[in-house]
Amino acid sequence: MSSSLITDAGLDADEITRRVDAVLSEPLYWFPVRHHSPTTARHVKSALLARKPKVIFIEGPFESNHLIPFITDTATAPPVAIYSSYRDDSNVLGLNGVASAGPDIPARFGVWYPMTAYSPEYVAMKTANTIGAEVVFIDLPHHALIQPHDSAEKEKSTPPPAGPNEDTLITTSGFYQHLASAAGFKSWDEAWDTLFENPHGNDHEAFRREMATFCCAARATSDHAAEQHSGTFERERHFMKVIRETLAAKKLKPEQAMVVCGGFHLFLDRKDKKLPPPCPAGTVYTTVVPYSHFRVSEMAGYGAGNRAPQYYQTCFDLVDAGRAEDIALEHAIAVLRLVRKAGDPLSTADAIAITHHAAMLARLRGRAHPTLDDIHDALITCCCKGNPTEDGTKLLAAMDAAGVGTKIGKVTSKLGRLPIVNDFHTQLADLDLGEVLGKEKRMTVKLDKRDQLAARRSAFLHRLVYLKVPFAAITNTGGDFSGTLFREDWQLKWEPRTEPDLIEENLYGDTIEAAALARLREAMAKVGTHAGKTCEQLVEAVDMDMPDLVQAAEEACGKAIDADPSFVSQATALQHLGQLDQYAVFRGLRRDVLEDLLTRCYDRACFSLPDASSVPEEEQQAVVDSLISVAEVVQRAEKSKYDRALFAEAARTAASVSTVPFLRGAFLGLLCEIRELPAEALAAEVAGLARAAPTVMVTAGDLLDGMLAVSRTSVMLGAESLVGAVDDLLKAADWESFLVMLPRLRAAMERLGKSQKDSIAGTVAKRYGLGGIEEVTAMPASLAATALVARLDAAVTATLKDWPL
Amino acid sequence: MAKKPAATAPDPSANGDLTDTILREPAERRYADQLEALKQNDTETPPTNWRLSPRSVLAYVIGGKTLKATIGGKSVEVPITRKFFGDDGIVERAIVTLASERALLLVGEPGTGKSWVSEHLAAAICGTSLLTIQGTAGTTEEHIKYSWNIARVIAEGPKPQNMIPSPAMVAMRSGGLLRFEELTRCVPDVQDALVSILSDKAIAVPELPGDALVFAKPGFNIIATANTRDQGVNELSAALKRRFNYVYIPIVGDQKTEVKIVQQRAAELLERYKLPAKLSPPVIELLATVFREIRNGKTSDGVSLKKPSTTLSTAEAIGVALDAALHSRFFGGGEVGPADIARNMVGAVVKEDQEDKVALKEYATLVAKKRGAKDKSWKDFHDALVEQL
Repeated sequence: MSSSLITDAGLDADEITRRVDAVLSEPLYWFPVRHHSPTTARHVKSALLARKPKVIFIEGPFESNHLIPFITDTATAPPVAIYSSYRDDSNVLGLNGVASAGPDIPARFGVWYPMTAYSPEYVAMKTANTIGAEVVFIDLPHHALIQPHDSAEKEKSTPPPAGPNEDTLITTSGFYQHLASAAGFKSWDEAWDTLFENPHGNDHEAFRREMATFCCAARATSDHAAEQHSGTFERERHFMKVIRETLAAKKLKPEQAMVVCGGFHLFLDRKDKKLPPPCPAGTVYTTVVPYSHFRVSEMAGYGAGNRAPQYYQTCFDLVDAGRAEDIALEHAIAVLRLVRKAGDPLSTADAIAITHHAAMLARLRGRAHPTLDDIHDALITCCCKGNPTEDGTKLLAAMDAAGVGTKIGKVTSKLGRLPIVNDFHTQLADLDLGEVLGKEKRMTVKLDKRDQLAARRSAFLHRLVYLKVPFAAITNTGGDFSGTLFREDWQLKWEPRTEPDLIEENLYGDTIEAAALARLREAMAKVGTHAGKTCEQLVEAVDMDMPDLVQAAEEACGKAIDADPSFVSQATALQHLGQLDQYAVFRGLRRDVLEDLLTRCYDRACFSLPDASSVPEEEQQAVVDSLISVAEVVQRAEKSKYDRALFAEAARTAASVSTVPFLRGAFLGLLCEIRELPAEALAAEVAGLARAAPTVMVTAGDLLDGMLAVSRTSVMLGAESLVGAVDDLLKAADWESFLVMLPRLRAAMERLGKSQKDSIAGTVAKRYGLGGIEEVTAMPASLAATALVARLDAAVTATLKDWPL
Repeated sequence: MAKKPAATAPDPSANGDLTDTILREPAERRYADQLEALKQNDTETPPTNWRLSPRSVLAYVIGGKTLKATIGGKSVEVPITRKFFGDDGIVERAIVTLASERALLLVGEPGTGKSWVSEHLAAAICGTSLLTIQGTAGTTEEHIKYSWNIARVIAEGPKPQNMIPSPAMVAMRSGGLLRFEELTRCVPDVQDALVSILSDKAIAVPELPGDALVFAKPGFNIIATANTRDQGVNELSAALKRRFNYVYIPIVGDQKTEVKIVQQRAAELLERYKLPAKLSPPVIELLATVFREIRNGKTSDGVSLKKPSTTLSTAEAIGVALDAALHSRFFGGGEVGPADIARNMVGAVVKEDQEDKVALKEYATLVAKKRGAKDKSWKDFHDALVEQL
C-alpha cells in the first residue's frame, strides 16, 4: 500500500505505519483474514507452519467450540456451515410478539457461518491438527447482541445483527471510497482481487503487512456509528476476554499463540476494559451441516458471501498444485464446457483467445494478474456475438454456473443430527419414501388419501411444504369440485437446501409435526381477524392432519367471520370452508361446526356486499371474483342451504348504491346470472345511457364491461336486446364520446368466447339485414376507416331496402 | 520515464488552411494536440506500429487528464477531453482486441457512437482514421482487396505499380487499422473476402507473376461496425464471426451522462457550423428527458408510455439539438427554446412507422401537458409539439 495513496486519502501515512508496526510487533501474533479468500488461506497456513503456535484463536462462534473436532474430522468435507440458533423460551428479552408473531410465541434467531475448503478459518483449523495446536473460537455468541425490547423501542429500525460482515465496514470507509475512485474499482470484489488475491505471492509476512496497512487505513476512516451498530466493539471485547482467559488458564505466553481474525479487528481498542455483554437465557442449538457452493455464493443472499465459490476453489487448488498461471484458462474451459452443453459451439481456440485477452486486459488495467472481472470481460468479448443481455444469455448463465459450482459438502456421521433432521429421515423411512434421498431425479408419487399410508404421506408432505422445506411439490390435487377429492400427485426431490432449511425449522420444534404446528399457530396469530386467511389456515391444518389445531382453527374462524367486515375476505373464507365441507366426514371434521361456519360466513358475505359497491379500481377485480365465487356456491348448493333471496337483495342494494359503473354492471350481471333479473333489464340499463348526457353516456363501456365480467351465459340469452341497446348507444354517441367509451367496450367484448362473439356478430348482422353470410373475413383497418365503412354499409342497406329485388 | 519531447515538435493542430476549407476534420487532426501530448507523456512501449501504448490510447478516449507537452515549440498544458461516455470497460475491451489476433466488431443500435469510437481508436492507434471502407449492398470484393488501372494494364500488363490498393491493403502494408463501416450491409460473398485477410493476414494477387502476396505488417487489424438492427440482413458467416471479437455499445442509460454527451457534442457541432445559437443547459436537460422517457416507455414519475419503433439514440438527440439550433439561428431569435426542440422532435421519432406519431402524441398529452401546467418550458414544448402533430 503506497504511502501516497494513504496521504491522498487525507491520512497521515507515518501514523498508519506506526499503528501497523505496533500491532504486528506484538508478542501475540495477529493474522488478518477475509472470509472465503484462497490467498489469505494460503498465507495463514504458511504462517502457522512457520510459527507453530500452541493455541490458535479464530474468529468463530464461541458457543460452537465443541464442534471443532467435527469440522476438522477427515469425514467432513467443505462446504459446511456452523449453524447456531437461539430461542427465547422465557421471553427474557421481551421480544415475544415483537420479533415473533404473538406474545405466546418465543422469539427465535439463527445465524450461519459457512466455510469452504479455502476459508482461512477452515484451513487454520486443519493446519492446527497438523501442528498439534489447539483451536479456540473467540467470537461473541450472536444472541448476546440481540437488543432487548426496551432498547428495541429506542431503535425500532434496528434488527438484531444477522452475522458479522466486516466487508461493509471496510467498503463504507473513507479510505476505501477514495481508493476505489482513484483506481476505478467497480466493486469491492474487484478491489480485493486486484489488491490481495495474487496467486504468485509467497511471502506471508509481506501479505500480512499489506493487509494490515489497508485495514488500518480503512478503520481510521470508518463510520464509527456503523461499527457501534454492528456490535463490533462488543465482539472485540469478547475476543480479548477469551484470549486473555485462555492464555491464563493454559499458562501460555502470548507469543505461543496466534489470532486469525478479520483484518478490521487487528486494530481493536486494546485498552477497552469493558466486558462483553452477557448471553441471555434461552435454548441454544449449534451444529454443523452440509452446505453448498450455491448457498455460499451471493446468489443465495449470504451477506458476507462469495461471488464465485467454485472459481476461488479452482484458484486455491491450482496454486496449491503449482499451476497458478492456468487459473484463467481452467476457468474459461469450465465456462465453455457449460456453453457447449447448452448448444453453442465454442472451441479450444476460444479458450486460448479468452486467456490471452484476460491477461492483456489485466495489464491494461494495471493489475499484476488477471482477476475474475478480467476473465468475465474476456469471455464476453471473445464469445458473445452481440448484445450480452440478448445474445449472451447462455454464456452469462454458464459464467454464473461455472463460477458458483455445484459442490455440496458433507459432515462426519460422528456428529449427531438435530432432532428435526432425525425426524425427517425417520419419517421418510417409515413412509417408504427413503429412495428419494439416493436419487438426483424427481420422483413422482400418486396418493389416494383413502389409503392409510397415502394419508400419512400426504400429511407429512403437506407439513414440509408448509414449512417451505424444499423437498416436495404438489402437482395435482383434488379437494375442489373436480371429483378427484382424495387424489394428490406429488413430485419429490432432495436438494442441497433441504437439510439446512430443516435445521432452521428446528427453532420451531423437534419434529416436523411440532414445527409445522408452531408455524401454523404463528400464522394464525398473524392473520388476526381476516376471515379468508384464517379459513385458509384451517384448510392447511386439515391437510397437515393436525386434529389438535383444527378445533382451535375452527374457533378462530368463527371469530374472524364475525369480526371481518370485508366481502372479499368472507367470500374467500366461504370458498375454503366449502372445500373442507366436501371431505369433512373423511377427515373427521365436525360437520355441524362446519355447517354453522358456512352459514355465518355466507350471511356475513351478503351483508358486507353493499360495502364493497364502490371500492377503488385496484380492488374491483377482487370484488368481481368474489361475487362469482359466492354465486357458484349458491348455485351448486341444495336450494334450502343458503338464503338465495338474501344474496339477491344484497346485490340489488349494492347495484343501487354503487357509484362505480363497472361494479354496478357486475352487480346487475350477477342478478341476471342468478335469474333475479331478466337479460332485457340489462339492455334497458345500457339503452338508458344512450339518452343521457355525454358525461354519463361515456360510462356505458364500464357498465357493459362489469356486466360481462360476471354474466355471459345469461346475457347471451338476451343478446338481441343488448345488441339493440348498444347500437342505439353508438348511434347516439358523438365521435369524442365514442372514443372515450371505446377501450372499455372493447375490453367488455374481449371477455366473450369465440362462439359468443360469433353469436353477437350474427345478431348484429341480422339487425342490419346481413344474415345468411357464412363467413366474414376480418379486414385490418384503422378505426376511422372502419367507422366510415360502417356508415357506408348502413347507407347502402338503407338504399337497397327501397329497391324492388 | 516520460519520453523527451522533440525540441522541434511541430504544432499538430496547425493544419494550414485545411481547418477553414473542410467541413469535418478527421479525429487525428481535430485532436492532434491531445494525441501529441499523450505521445510525449507515454511511459510505456507501444505494440509494433502503434503510435501510442494501449494505456495512452485508453487515456485519449476516456479523457480526464491534463498533460504538459511541447507543441509548436511552446510548453503548454493540454487537457485530454472525454471522447466516449459510458462504461470504460467497453473501451478497454476494444483496445485489447485490437492488440490481439482477432479483429474488432463494434455492434449496437443506430446512433450509439460506434463509428465515433472506431474513428478515435484508429486515430490514436495508427494515426489515421481515413483507411475506411463504407459497407453497402454495392460493396464488391475489389473494394476490399484491390483493383487495377485498366488503361495501364492494357498498355503494360498487370504489374504492381498498376494495381490500385484498397484501404485494407494500404492498412496491411503500413501495419495500420482498417475501418470497415456497416459491415453487415455487405452481401455475404463480399464479407467473406475478409476471412483470408483476417486469418492469413495476407492478400493473394494471382494476376501478378509468381506467388504474389501482399502481407500485413504487425499492427494491422480491422475495426468494423454493425448495426444490431441489420444483424439479420447479412449476418456474418460463422467463420467470420469467429475472427471478430464483438463489443456491444449500449444506448446511454442515465440522464446525467446523456445530458453531458448532448452538451459536448452539440457545442462542437455549433462551433463547426459556426452557429451563434445558444443552447442552454435546461433546454438540453428537457431534450434528454424527453428522449429517455419515450425510449424507456416510462416517465420518471412512473407513467407508462407507448414505445416508438425508432431507436431514440443519443446521436438522434444531438441531431435534434443541432436542427433546433439551425432553426433558431435562421428563423428565430438565435436562442434555442423548448419550442424549437419540439418542432424537430417529429422528424426524429416518426420515421418508418406513422404509428410512432401516436407515441409522441401520447407523450404530449399525458406528460408534457401535465408538466406544462407548472413549468413554462414544458408548456412551450407541449404547445409546439401539438402544433407539429
